[in-house]
Amino acid sequence: MYRAGTGDCFILKFYAGKTKKFTMMIDGGVWKGSKTYLAHFVQNIKETTGGIIDLLVITHEHLDHVLMFERCEHIFKDFIIEELWFGWTENDSDKKVKEWKKKYGDRKIALKMVADKLNNLIVNKNIENSLKGNFNAKEMYNARVNFSEIISGFSELHISEGDNENIYKGALKGMHVIKNKLNIKKIKFLNQGEIVKNIKNLPGIKFYILGPPDLYDQVNKESGKEGETYNHNKDLDEHELFSLSVQRDQSERLKEILLPFERSFIDNNKTAQSIYEDPIKVWRKIDYEWLFSAGNLSLRMNSLTNNLSLAFAIEFEESKKVMLFPGDAEIGSWESWHKIKWPEKGANNKHLTEDLLNRTVFYKVAHHLSHNGTAQSLGMELMEHTELTAMATIDYSNISNGWKNTMPNKALLKELLKRTKGRLIIQNEDNIYYDLNDKIKLSSKIKDAKESMNSDELTSFTKNLAIPKPKLISYQKGNENVTEEKILYFEYTVSGE
Amino acid sequence: METVTLREPAYRKIRAYAFDPSLSLQIDTVEINEMEYTLPWEKLDPGPIGSYLEVIDYDPTLDLYYKPVDLDQPYILVENGIRPSESNPQFHQQMVYAVAMTTIKNFEKALGRKIIWSTRLLEDKNKYEEYVPKLRLYPHAFRDSNAYYSPHKKAILFGYFKSRSTHSEIQMPNALVFTCLSHDIIAHEITHAILDGLYRHYNEPTNPDVLAFHEAFADIVALFQHFTFPEVLKHQISKTRGNLENQNLLGQLAQEFGSAIGGYGSLRDAIGSVNPETKKWEPKTPNPIDYKKNVEPHSRGSVLVAAVFESFLTIYKKRVADLLRIATNGTGVLPEGELHPDLVNRMAKEASKAAKHVLNMCIRALDYCPPVDITFGDYLRAIVTADVDLVRNDDHEYRLAFIDSFRKRGIYPVGIKTLSVDSLKQKELNIFAKYENENDSNYKEFNSDVLIKNDQTKQYLSILNKFLKEYGDKIKYVTNREEIYHITSDYIGGNYENPESLVKGLYTRWAMKIEEPGTEELSTLTGLALNSHYHELGVRKADGPYNFPSFNIQNLRLISRVGPDGNLLNQVVFSIFQKSGVIIKNGKFADHFIPDDGPLPENGFILLGGCTLIFDLDSNCLRYSISKPILNIEEMEANHRFIVNSKRVEEQFQYQFDEGLEDRSNFNKYFGIDLSNNFNEPFAMLHNH
Repeated sequence: MYRAGTGDCFILKFYAGKTKKFTMMIDGGVWKGSKTYLAHFVQNIKETTGGIIDLLVITHEHLDHVLMFERCEHIFKDFIIEELWFGWTENDSDKKVKEWKKKYGDRKIALKMVADKLNNLIVNKNIENSLKGNFNAKEMYNARVNFSEIISGFSELHISEGDNENIYKGALKGMHVIKNKLNIKKIKFLNQGEIVKNIKNLPGIKFYILGPPDLYDQVNKESGKEGETYNHNKDLDEHELFSLSVQRDQSERLKEILLPFERSFIDNNKTAQSIYEDPIKVWRKIDYEWLFSAGNLSLRMNSLTNNLSLAFAIEFEESKKVMLFPGDAEIGSWESWHKIKWPEKGANNKHLTEDLLNRTVFYKVAHHLSHNGTAQSLGMELMEHTELTAMATIDYSNISNGWKNTMPNKALLKELLKRTKGRLIIQNEDNIYYDLNDKIKLSSKIKDAKESMNSDELTSFTKNLAIPKPKLISYQKGNENVTEEKILYFEYTVSGE
Repeated sequence: METVTLREPAYRKIRAYAFDPSLSLQIDTVEINEMEYTLPWEKLDPGPIGSYLEVIDYDPTLDLYYKPVDLDQPYILVENGIRPSESNPQFHQQMVYAVAMTTIKNFEKALGRKIIWSTRLLEDKNKYEEYVPKLRLYPHAFRDSNAYYSPHKKAILFGYFKSRSTHSEIQMPNALVFTCLSHDIIAHEITHAILDGLYRHYNEPTNPDVLAFHEAFADIVALFQHFTFPEVLKHQISKTRGNLENQNLLGQLAQEFGSAIGGYGSLRDAIGSVNPETKKWEPKTPNPIDYKKNVEPHSRGSVLVAAVFESFLTIYKKRVADLLRIATNGTGVLPEGELHPDLVNRMAKEASKAAKHVLNMCIRALDYCPPVDITFGDYLRAIVTADVDLVRNDDHEYRLAFIDSFRKRGIYPVGIKTLSVDSLKQKELNIFAKYENENDSNYKEFNSDVLIKNDQTKQYLSILNKFLKEYGDKIKYVTNREEIYHITSDYIGGNYENPESLVKGLYTRWAMKIEEPGTEELSTLTGLALNSHYHELGVRKADGPYNFPSFNIQNLRLISRVGPDGNLLNQVVFSIFQKSGVIIKNGKFADHFIPDDGPLPENGFILLGGCTLIFDLDSNCLRYSISKPILNIEEMEANHRFIVNSKRVEEQFQYQFDEGLEDRSNFNKYFGIDLSNNFNEPFAMLHNH
């Protein structure tokens, strides 16, 4: 697990005895990072792999899973990548995928535009002025600033800088680099329910493809709870009207598609204008409230993309031990795993998915410890192997604003600590707290949890976890030059025996 | 020649959907979906803009105005408004007006006074607040599947969106859905606005019940408003075959009302559901842990909705028992074939009557609620108290029906030892006023065993009673809402610009009293730090030269109601509020700070105390004090120690900074919206997915 910041970048080396047989890389992303900063990590990947990757897996198209490829194309282009895996949803030649991506792309533009719009309204003080005179005006303003910063965060997660207006290319730049600029010998698009075995140089290992789900309906499902919401399918169509008006070109005549009613109902005399724009009733105007609908849009897009994650289980055939890499799959994806029609049953006649979860000894925590990332009864509670170890890619020194509010999820942490007996390896524990009032440090909670390991367990855990010496790295951060000592990665050995 | 004077008509009839447009597409409901709402007559400007509401159809997503409807235009007037149509925004304007006004009228009828919108709070502390005459309705305010009341804009914003509905049989795929065309959504949101006008602090989720109460109450009003339309019920009852006593019919109906546009705002799933095996609707069996285990506002609110609904069913069943005996010759089994239309009419009438009574009981109870920090248990007590006060003879046993259905769901008020009408009813204080002249016919000796022993205080309460009576007399015949507001503000704050008409307001009367020795009993009465110990209790000194604690008075109002026996109820009610700054360490109360002096200290939060005092004008007494105390009253009475009510502090802290935060929606977590920092748009956020 690399430690560039919140985001996934994993190298897996498979050994037979002492001989390295196979090198696999899963994702290469981080929330933020300059070219010079990320080069230290990518250079290290190059050194440790010799620039040869047998299998590269890209789980999904989010900045925190692909940014390194965008920034460090110059290093990656010399790599030899034997095989690249995507979920079926990245197969651009598929007509359905294409259609969906077009629609999705439109929403991405809308999200970016609304983020910019909100930003402008804040910079130009429109929002501040619209709240003037109200009791608590300042708090109200701050809440709106905070909100739009989080919208911007979501926008950045999905859309590369400079990708606005007409130059939108559909994919994040990192994704574009992976698909078009790297030396890749073979690409494979995987479907839910596939079992991949007999991989060259990798005998005794099987891959079970769990996600992304086959149907968009399942992809669409984020979290199960029904509140005061409409009980209809939550899909992108619902945001179509909103997106259309965000993307509207003000200089053009209003297009028919934008109007909810016949044109004849428009009041060109603006009868109500004198009331609506009454200068002493400015506080009642609603010019900007509608932009905050972007909140729902951004959350939905985020969940959708997360659910498109290529999620898979790696099984050691002999020992039946399993390593689980779900990408950032959310509840909708987890649920669908349990409906896969596997060609075989699991042990004790269980559904194979349940059995795989039962046998999981290594779990890459989905979606950086968020509540939606790990299903409870359909996920966490089925991971009952006594050797369970988990790694979570969360780092508060490099994370999107909104994420701090949902990650880590306390209930999930509690369960993970119990089930792993403290074998929970966090990318960076600093400044992460277990409780909501920032009193109990996560690190001390993990330490406490380790007490429940017996001495053998503790010995082998300590032996399996290798922490390299910190490296002195210099890089650019904004306009500054930074030099710091950094541990580039944590290494953990999983025995397949 | 005789001259004929034309009088204004009493009513205006307006056509609109009884539910929402989706039901007009179903052949079996089309005939009941269009109805005429009967509203009190008022002159309307294009909008419509009347005295309570202004509909402004500005669509900010396109920066457009839609043509406003002029309901006074003769052609429209004779036709009872525009024909219901989804594609005509003028009909949308007409419908929001019709449903909103219907809801307002229902409230006014039950409360026995005019609705006044909550005031706008100002940044300028000297002005503090301003009167808002009209609630604003924006029928096309944004493009999302939501609608909300904005307390700071005093407006309801309705959204519209494109839906790929799950009910493809009743909605065109990718059709536009307008939230402003749903009776339930409009009634729900307007109820939020009305409730905010009564109790501003019910927007502050100090405990898990507060927001749940707001939601549930809004849903209850929307639901029972449907049941007051007998046409709707008639249709459904006539379709029934077999056992009419089967209450499931109404339960199913209640749920269907709520699910029209995909269940928006409806907490009614707790009432029951369709059994997948029998395909029949079945009521959900209540469980005593329902209340305890549901913390999220919607699921918790649904427990309250289910409790009130069950009370309604019990009442209805009792009311139609005789009809059923007659119709079935005592066998309980109906003959085959269609029901006799007279029977259908009578049954529908009974259901509608029961619904009206329940709706009235639920609304009336608001006057007997604590002004802050409400719980469902408080609400049950308020329902019972309000009902006992007005309806002396409960021969239909409405009160028992309520108590029973609340009990079944585990909703118990705190500190009540047994569940009965007597124990649930707020304790009557009956502190009678003593007038100077002992021959005064109103003179009564004080009950010596009640709270107040100090003569000064007794004297004070008498003067206060007189003052409130004066207020009641003054306000009784005023019908202009703005005038009511201003007179009321003068009676609270004083009117020093016109010293002839008034000298001292209610606020000053209280404040001056606190300085006088021996009046600590006011603290016992209210649970607030209305005594010289306020410094030690984290209460700020009031601005100005005098040494008394800061507090404020709101919600002064006259309750004047007629009971079923023709008995009159004349009461004046007001609420006192006070803030105490508390500091928490390790989940326990540790210290005080003085609120509103710069930013909150670390681990500090503000405990809001409040008390509603109800004076009876006919018997000249202080009847009830309904309090959420700041003080630990027991300690004060027993040991004369003035300490904070640490139990309340700790419970509130636990909820607001721990459990409540964990329980927020995913949306609110992502956007860092917590219980106190919510955009000042608590309802917008609550309704987000």
